[in-house]
Amino acid sequence: MILTGVLLHCTFTVIQLYNMFFKLTPTTGQPLYLQLMQQIRHAAETGALRDGDQLPGIRTLAEELVVSPNTIAKAYSELEHEGLLELRPGSGAFVCVKRRTRSLAERVQVARHRIRDLIEGLREDGLLDEEIRRAFEAELLYPAEIARK
Amino acid sequence: MTNEAVILTHELTKSYGNAEAVRGLNLSVGRNSITAFLGRNGAGKSTTIKMLLGMIRPTAGSGTILGKQMTNAEENRELRRRVAYVAEDKPLYGYMTVEQTIRFASSFYPDWRRELEQKLLRDYELPLGRKVKMLSKGMRTKLALLLAFARRPNLLILDEPSEGLDPVGIEHLLQVLVAQSAEGVAVFFSSHQIAEVERVADHVCILEKGSLLVDAPLDQLRQFYRRIDLVFPFPPTEREFRIPGVERIQTSGHQMSVFASRNAAAVIERAHDLNVVSVEVAPVGLRDIFLETVKES
Amino acid sequence: MLWYKAWLETRSRFLICLATLTLFSGIFVHHAEGLVRLESKSDFNRLLFVNQQFLVIMWVLAVVLLGMGGIVREKALGTSSLTLALPVSRARLLGVRVGMGVLEAIVLGVVPWVAVFFVSSFARKPILITQVASYILLLVGGGLVYFALAVLVSSLVSGEYTAPALAFGIVLLAAMLFDAWLRQFNLWRLVTGDFSLDRSTYLLSGHLPWLGILSSLSVAVLMVLVSTIVVQRREF
Repeated sequence: MILTGVLLHCTFTVIQLYNMFFKLTPTTGQPLYLQLMQQIRHAAETGALRDGDQLPGIRTLAEELVVSPNTIAKAYSELEHEGLLELRPGSGAFVCVKRRTRSLAERVQVARHRIRDLIEGLREDGLLDEEIRRAFEAELLYPAEIARK
Repeated sequence: MTNEAVILTHELTKSYGNAEAVRGLNLSVGRNSITAFLGRNGAGKSTTIKMLLGMIRPTAGSGTILGKQMTNAEENRELRRRVAYVAEDKPLYGYMTVEQTIRFASSFYPDWRRELEQKLLRDYELPLGRKVKMLSKGMRTKLALLLAFARRPNLLILDEPSEGLDPVGIEHLLQVLVAQSAEGVAVFFSSHQIAEVERVADHVCILEKGSLLVDAPLDQLRQFYRRIDLVFPFPPTEREFRIPGVERIQTSGHQMSVFASRNAAAVIERAHDLNVVSVEVAPVGLRDIFLETVKES
Repeated sequence: MLWYKAWLETRSRFLICLATLTLFSGIFVHHAEGLVRLESKSDFNRLLFVNQQFLVIMWVLAVVLLGMGGIVREKALGTSSLTLALPVSRARLLGVRVGMGVLEAIVLGVVPWVAVFFVSSFARKPILITQVASYILLLVGGGLVYFALAVLVSSLVSGEYTAPALAFGIVLLAAMLFDAWLRQFNLWRLVTGDFSLDRSTYLLSGHLPWLGILSSLSVAVLMVLVSTIVVQRREF
């Protein structure tokens, strides 16, 4: 009974993962592996991925997303460096949500509040959403130190 | 795991009379990569591939594939055993049936995988008993691709593989390429389908008029190519912006659009030195990188 | 599986020619036996000689057609990129093509005469096996050079009709020129048995022109070697 329950849980988890729809956009100027890393991190922060969950194998995910296996491998490898993933040879990639990640999730929550306030302020100043988005993208794409008064 | 070169050419050149189809090509294709070979029609892509496979003799230069000298007939024959190649026109023998074609091709390669062959036959829905000359164009393309994909070679070379395929077929093709790469097969393919290349390629080579203009990891292109749109309080001078990395500048009145392959930060700093009013930085997709690269040459 | 490919490529041509040559020979000898008043043995032997004349024309036509094809032709057809990507040398590709063609040429020379042998035996006008063997030997031994010529032409010219036309043209021209100036070296006359015939009995004499046959075969080998070099140097 317990075994069946565990198997069902695992199957449900795998199905759940495939329903997460990692979406990699090749044209945004950001390497695909970074996008994947962000999306996996986001999933861990929001709880879609829990401690101990298994991510699809490199080949499986590469075929699923139709991207180079190197993209997946690089993302997994970097996340392993950060401590979010544990790569077990022969078994796959497992999520390790540590305290640090949970507090990161909290920080992201706080950041979202700040961003919401900032966007409201910019809208009141008369900026359109599209202009706000472009300004954010411009700031993100080159180091802020270069920007002058 | 080092990404050792499966294809390495040195100053590879091919001239036809006074015209140079390929000039001084120094190509390096890594074993663990999916490398895309882009170029306009007539840029020299097919000529390069044919030289690699011993169908054309280089006028000058040399190269190795899987460590073997490509210009040595005997070594080239040996390396072809471990290379799978599909030419642009997807050649097949019209008088053979699908089954005969598969039996024929598989007899030459020890890396043939019967289970892959079966799976692809099912996926492609190819009628075994029908003669190739009776197949539709799409089916012929799929059969030609099957002859390469039902193997686990060291290197897969494809010349415009998606030509003749519908979007579903293209998606399946990309999945197969990805699967092959995951199994350790080096993939080298030329394509006009830039959107598809952008999804699966690790490395991009752009050939124009026989010369390699771009040879870089795709992530690097993504990180460094930028289009910077600037507005100044006065008409700007282009000379101020000829800094390393700037590929093209277009000015119109107070506006200037800079296309840079790197060093966007330096461009922005210079713009600020000149009291720029507005700065907009945008990433550049592979299509635009390609178009700008071949345009300026 | 290169032999299999060579067979598939030449199968139709070969079988049609085989049927034509065999049927012709059988019917010709059988019918003619009824039509001609065979008063003497020499009349019948003359019949066999005439059969060889026709057979030579058809056989040479057939082997020239069988000698067509190869990777130069495949380039025009668009399949050379497949064949040349195979891990086999160009020499081997040519070798298999030549081998299959030679086997087919031999069969095309043997089977019609075997048919004649049986037809004559049933009509109770048996022929000597040595005569049959001699005609076959003259035809194939002397005539393979025509096949080799076709192979050489097809490695230089890729047109579907220009290649065989050129080959036939050379065969005809050679026969005419040799007949005009070097009659004793005219291969056509050797192959048809003209040099070996005893005009009184219309039997092939015991002395076959071995030197001629050997020379012809040597030229054939030379032509194949030249074809190999041509094909190896060519770019596709």
